[in-house]
Amino acid sequence: MGWVRFAVLVVVAAVLQASLVDVIAVTRFHIKPDLLLVLLVFFAVHCDPTEVIITSFCIGLVADIIGPMMGPRMISFGLIGTLLADLNRVVVLKKMSYQWIAIFLVGFLTASVAWFLAFLRAEAPTSGIYTEFFWTPLYSAIIGPFLFSPMQWWMRMKKRKVRRF
Amino acid sequence: MARKQTRISRRMLFAYFVLVGLILLFAPPRFTNPFRLTFARLFRWPLSIGRSVTLAAARTRGPEEVVSMREYTRLKNHLANVIEQRDQEHKKVEELSGLRVKSDWDRMNLVLADIITVSQGGQNELIINRGRADGLVDGQFVLGDRSVIGTISGVSSEAARVRLLTAASRVAVKIVELKGQSLQAIADGFMEGTGNNCAKIPLCSRKLEIKEGNLVFVSKQNKFLDVPIIAGRVSRCKTDDEEPVLWDITVEPVCDIEKLRQVAVIVTNPEQ
Repeated sequence: MGWVRFAVLVVVAAVLQASLVDVIAVTRFHIKPDLLLVLLVFFAVHCDPTEVIITSFCIGLVADIIGPMMGPRMISFGLIGTLLADLNRVVVLKKMSYQWIAIFLVGFLTASVAWFLAFLRAEAPTSGIYTEFFWTPLYSAIIGPFLFSPMQWWMRMKKRKVRRF
Repeated sequence: MARKQTRISRRMLFAYFVLVGLILLFAPPRFTNPFRLTFARLFRWPLSIGRSVTLAAARTRGPEEVVSMREYTRLKNHLANVIEQRDQEHKKVEELSGLRVKSDWDRMNLVLADIITVSQGGQNELIINRGRADGLVDGQFVLGDRSVIGTISGVSSEAARVRLLTAASRVAVKIVELKGQSLQAIADGFMEGTGNNCAKIPLCSRKLEIKEGNLVFVSKQNKFLDVPIIAGRVSRCKTDDEEPVLWDITVEPVCDIEKLRQVAVIVTNPEQ
């Protein structure tokens, strides 16, 4: 695992998420994909369990840094990323359709955990429920699998043959 | 002698990270704000470029927001008349009192700032490129397009966070109605952001004649705001579902935050 490459990838994704991704936002509710969510699923699927723990929590920390509150996404990404890595040992996410479903479900679950943790802090929700729980994970799931190949290339990971649909 | 390698088990590693996450979650904002402001400061250049590209794309994508030349001329003339009337009133006050009158707007110190980025999560926060070194402190009001859009909620030496009024915040406001060339106050209250690019004004009695289109001004605040300034417009006013004796008032900001490049922070000196 190239940790320097990982750090560069995460920082680039964070900067893009905080700025350029707004270009592809849709509707007046500003629905846009979550690149950090896609990164989370990518590393959960391609790394060994110890690395997944570190990468999930780090990606969550970066998501909090560009978000409204520190803490919820670090914990939610870490928890769900670790669970996904364990699940990957049973169900290998080779097919693109599996990857779509995984990104959507992980997005929904991380949003739920983060929402609950923000509620514990007595913080009001920062955006609509439907956007956080459904539309953003859906949008991320649609574009996510197409970003796996460039990320594999950057991280110098062995390319697995992806079965489409 | 070979050094003993300490190996941390996966479980311990997971527990450490969760502990760090919980510490960050429950730490006061003044300890966690520096992380976010430092990120914005370090990556100010790419974030600003990204925002410029986003704004340019929004401009080319959206419908043209223009008024007819005739309407523009009419509004410009109306503004000139209002300014002249105001200056005439100031002169009368000076003659009667014998004192030089300076308008509240002229007495305000404004610090212009560029928006570095909009914080993720519902567009409820901005990060700007001015900080403590420019005289910014928590609680100061921030203007966008000459309307109040939020308050400073975290300051580092060279950057600051602006919490928008439509975020989870509360501010004293008054609802006014524009009648001809004068404003008539209707009600006072508190405006609470909903996090969805709008705000609510609760606990307004249905006896008050509030309707859509009424203007919402942020009231004078001790130390931070010397004059009421417009913040929003009543976009919806209907009977509250839970309390039929009250109004359910929704307010939308008069400023389009998405298209803003610059804001102005009201930096007032209480001693002056």
